Amino acid sequence: MFVAAVASGLVLGGMYALIAMGLTLQYGVARIMNLAHGELMIAAAFAAFWLFTSAAVNPLVGLLLVVPAAFAVSWAIYRLLLTPLVARAPNRDALEVDSILATFGMLFVIQGVMLAMFGGAYYSYSFLAFPVNIAGATVAANRLLALGFAAAIGLGLYLYLTRTRLGTAVRAVAVDPNSAPLVAIDVRATAALAFAFGGALVAAGGVLISMFLTFNANIGVVFTMKALIVVIMGGVGNLLGCLVAGLILGLVETFVATWIDPGLTLAATYAIFLVILLVRPQGLFGTASR
Amino acid sequence: MLEISGISVAYGKHLAVDRVALNVKPGEIVLILGANGSGKTSLLKAIAGIQPAAGATIRLAGRELGGLPAHAIVEAGLALVPEGRGIFGELTVRENLELGAFARRARPAEVRNLRHVLELFPRLGERLGQQVRTMSGGEQQMVAVGRALMSAPSILLLDEPSLGLSPLMCKELFAALARIRDDGLGILLVEQNARRSLAIADRGYLIANGRIVGEGSAQDLRNDPAVQRAYLGAAEPGLTAPAQDGAGSA
Repeated sequence: MFVAAVASGLVLGGMYALIAMGLTLQYGVARIMNLAHGELMIAAAFAAFWLFTSAAVNPLVGLLLVVPAAFAVSWAIYRLLLTPLVARAPNRDALEVDSILATFGMLFVIQGVMLAMFGGAYYSYSFLAFPVNIAGATVAANRLLALGFAAAIGLGLYLYLTRTRLGTAVRAVAVDPNSAPLVAIDVRATAALAFAFGGALVAAGGVLISMFLTFNANIGVVFTMKALIVVIMGGVGNLLGCLVAGLILGLVETFVATWIDPGLTLAATYAIFLVILLVRPQGLFGTASR
Repeated sequence: MLEISGISVAYGKHLAVDRVALNVKPGEIVLILGANGSGKTSLLKAIAGIQPAAGATIRLAGRELGGLPAHAIVEAGLALVPEGRGIFGELTVRENLELGAFARRARPAEVRNLRHVLELFPRLGERLGQQVRTMSGGEQQMVAVGRALMSAPSILLLDEPSLGLSPLMCKELFAALARIRDDGLGILLVEQNARRSLAIADRGYLIANGRIVGEGSAQDLRNDPAVQRAYLGAAEPGLTAPAQDGAGSA
């Protein structure tokens, strides 16, 4: 029972970490607090569902279609909808307020479109749903696969940001957007890139989650909130912080659901969030650049 | 060659820089001397495209740069080391220098430029993996100058590079600037350390209330009674001494 709880806690936590990494890139680099983050994730989940049920496309192949599409859509959203806000904002604080309002509106637009297409019912599909035995506990194969993919994507992102020139430029904009132009970095283009990467990450999370969770058109905001908690717990802009905080959240939720009461998971989430805010308001690892 | 004319910077109704014209040739250090608040920093920021400047003509090797965004100006070959350095404190020395070569113009010669920077500032070579904000002020200034050189500029703009540096660090930095000049770069230098900077400069402009009020060779400026009074402390006997720090002449 314990091993099973740890395994599903890690799977859930890995998903939280992945979508929180997307949010922290968007917030830490592009300075957009994207309240429609979870909606894009659910849209990606619906896309994977639709590809699987109507065209028999394996969700792992679906990743190859959905993730680039989410990258392109997010890039376009930044360039068309958010760049005007960036251009007119006198400072970062003003941009944060404007972007929260704009993405709050975007949340309802995306949600409305999904409701119109799919209604409010819960959806799921069966893909690799056979059990796998790990150290005496059984875990569904699709969950293990999702965790593996999340780990690979997270690692890939980390290496990209720390080992490549463009990745280092993205971190430079996060650290000091005023100095970035001094080394020929186009800050707006880099912010658009980071925003698009954030969208691609959350879409990957959506496709992976759709393999083992039921979802509906209204549930995105729950994931946005959890991603926000993970980002703040881990320290804004800190990918390793996202990973650790995401895993903690996933494990705590699963433990509470297993041994105390499934109804208390959200309460437990906010309880650790409050404790961390009180003890370490800068997040577990502070606001570092990696 | 950098040729600037008619550059003005206004903050609301206050005119910080008023129709300034100046030029910097390859292989010379041009000094801008002026009191605090005379518009020196605004002028450098305007040239680098960080500060909007009205009606400016900024030509670098015949190409017009006026109105270009800051990142495109670096790409054209003009690098600014701002006051306060503007380095990425959370990143390592190596990452800062690598980012210096982010400009496309800098990519082909990146390896050679890195070797050159580490030769100029050997201390940086020993600390490539160190986070920049944990370094001393002088070392951070070396990172800032090194990062600017990594972008393969033809003109280097420096805003108060010796500010807050120990005398020894200062000496080391100015010796490096003289070497950079001898390599053929043009340097436009704003300095509060008039004595030391006049010792390595080739020419200079005097700026007051946003206007150029005088110009001349470094030699003439050193001997100008007004300059001596304002910046060197009148009738200093040691005027010739700092000249030895200049590490050779152009």
